[in-house]
Amino acid sequence: MSRFGLFWIEGFGFAVALEQIKKILQNSKTYKLPHLPGAVSAVLIEAGQLVPLLDLSQLVGTGTQLGQVAQGYQVLVESEYGTVALPADLTGKIVTEQKGELSVIVGEEEDFGTIGKLIYRNEEYNILDINILAIEMTQGFWQSQPGTGGARRHQ
Amino acid sequence: MTVLGNRKLIFRLGEIRFLLDLADVVEVVDQIADALDPSRSDIGQGIISALQFRHTWIPVVDPTLKLDIFSTVKLKEKIAVILRGTEGNWALLVDQVDELSGAENFQPCVIPFLLKVSAMGFYSQIRLLHNEPMIVFEPERYYGSTAVLV
Repeated sequence: MSRFGLFWIEGFGFAVALEQIKKILQNSKTYKLPHLPGAVSAVLIEAGQLVPLLDLSQLVGTGTQLGQVAQGYQVLVESEYGTVALPADLTGKIVTEQKGELSVIVGEEEDFGTIGKLIYRNEEYNILDINILAIEMTQGFWQSQPGTGGARRHQ
Repeated sequence: MTVLGNRKLIFRLGEIRFLLDLADVVEVVDQIADALDPSRSDIGQGIISALQFRHTWIPVVDPTLKLDIFSTVKLKEKIAVILRGTEGNWALLVDQVDELSGAENFQPCVIPFLLKVSAMGFYSQIRLLHNEPMIVFEPERYYGSTAVLV
């Protein structure tokens, strides 16, 4: 039985497979470092380790730095390449797949970084492809394209 | 007895904190406004000005340019950390000098794989002080014979 953590950040709903969620921090202090990729808004320290905080506005295409939300959760997620943090509002829930309606999306560019959607109580959550996001957003491959309604893969 | 070389100078560029071996530091000079000559610059070498220090002119390097760090501190309000280099003294401009701290107070912090690309060419080590990351400043990356190679 698959379970998901469901979160919101500035109107963008996202879902992460529960087995990938390592920890959820609240109002963790973040720090800037030189030459962080545009899709990494800051880093935070967890258990003596640096963790990149991804800027999910690159997915939404809002043009605002969602990662800069001062009050909220930082969801630490384990990818194949290391831990990343995702910013989230102070709401969150864990649900089983059966409680919602799951759809899988393949190959649509505007949904790059997501592997599907979960509809739960009439609200849509983008199921994030953490491995893709971790590697692409930290290696500087992402570039927001204003007016296109979302991020585009840029290499 | 505290050995001088085991202490670190903590300074700030923009919002980011760095640490430097105190053994590399000759002197810290504030009030540099009247000792600067910006006409003596060599931008290709990262030198933005010359500074009169102990009756001689020494190169002044502003690391925020290479590190692409936004700083609100004007040139004449910056602090010069005079460093001993292979080609003589040179001045490192910083926004603020925070404190001295013993090397034993810092914990090592591995730069994770996901951040290695952004660090490449600019720094190679980070230390934690009270759980806050500080970049180990490597002077040779900014001035001296190897500076133009990185």
